[in-house]
Amino acid sequence: MLSHSLLPTVAVTDGGGLYYGNMIFTAFVFIVLMLLIMKFAWKPLSEMMEKRANKIADDINSAEKSRKDAEDLAKQREDALAKSREDATGIINNAKQSAQVQSDQIITTARNDAQSIKTSAQKDIEQERKDALANTKNDVANLSIEIASKIIQKELKADDQKALIDSYIEGLGKQDAR
Amino acid sequence: MNDPISTFKLFGLTFNIGNMVAVTVAAVFTFLLVFICSRKLQVIPSGKQNFLEMIVDFTNGIVKGSISGSEASSFGLYAFVLFLFIFISNQMGLLFQIDYNGVTYVKSPTADPIVALTLAALSLSLAHFLGVSKLGFKGYFVGSYFKPFKLLFPLNVFEELANFLTLGLRLYGNIFAGELLLGMVTKLAFSMGALSFIPSIFIAMIWDAFSIFIGSVQAFVFVTLTFVYISQKLQPEE
Repeated sequence: MLSHSLLPTVAVTDGGGLYYGNMIFTAFVFIVLMLLIMKFAWKPLSEMMEKRANKIADDINSAEKSRKDAEDLAKQREDALAKSREDATGIINNAKQSAQVQSDQIITTARNDAQSIKTSAQKDIEQERKDALANTKNDVANLSIEIASKIIQKELKADDQKALIDSYIEGLGKQDAR
Repeated sequence: MNDPISTFKLFGLTFNIGNMVAVTVAAVFTFLLVFICSRKLQVIPSGKQNFLEMIVDFTNGIVKGSISGSEASSFGLYAFVLFLFIFISNQMGLLFQIDYNGVTYVKSPTADPIVALTLAALSLSLAHFLGVSKLGFKGYFVGSYFKPFKLLFPLNVFEELANFLTLGLRLYGNIFAGELLLGMVTKLAFSMGALSFIPSIFIAMIWDAFSIFIGSVQAFVFVTLTFVYISQKLQPEE
């Protein structure tokens, strides 16, 4: 046994005796250590880990949700596209149909117009031909009277002469008609 | 075994100063490590926080290996502190040993049977306490001592004692042996000058590596067995 210079109550022994006091001390130190770690590290760390777990779960859920949303949107767009394509086809078909109808109408009208114009033109021509024929008749009658009066120097009744020429012209008209 | 120790007496109990210093230093190291690593915690961990969470996951894994269900989460702290404290204690003696007046003041606290047995006593007290509080005293007593039938009562009492001794002494024995051999290698190094010093460096390196391995394994084994004992007390066998 040696006495210690700095700590007078301390005895240095050669490993003898059991130091039960240390059991209390060790247990005390361990429990204090546990409490300190709980206060300064364990609680914040556990909270953080829990927060992270929640965040990951949330992220997964929201990712799932946005994926579904995107899918819905894509489907909507596709539907809209198909619908507009259908609409376009319908519009084109309608336009084609109405154009067909219109063109038919125009052609019909034009044909009718042409027909009526042709008819009236024919009528005009006929009328003019008749007029011209009548004028010619008169002119020919007068001319022939003048010629006859000059040639035969004979007084002739214009009316008798006219009757003669009429009969002649009628004969011409009949030949013409044939 | 016969190294001198410094002691003092208080309230009729003997205290070993070197031991107390070692335990305190190990506790301070443990606390500082955890404290420094747990600063500026972030949701997305990085660096030291990753390291800390790795240890927490590891010890939580040990707990979940023995105890199932919601009870497991309440033991996380105990497993974490126990593992880290024993691990650091085991490695401490390999890093440095401080002698003063021939008395070793800083070494592995777990190389001392009293410290190792105290930790074992803590673990087993916790196990028995939890057993009583969960199953009631009768359920605990029948479940622990009258299984599978009453005649085995003396054997079961003995088993509890053996659990306590093996848990503590296994840790103590492994770490003490590691330190003892390391001390012997050191003595060998200085015994014959350069002739023994250079090969001793390599021997010491090999033994250090092995002791680090042993220290880690023992910390793991201690925590694992603690939770095996706790789970035994929590669920009585039919």
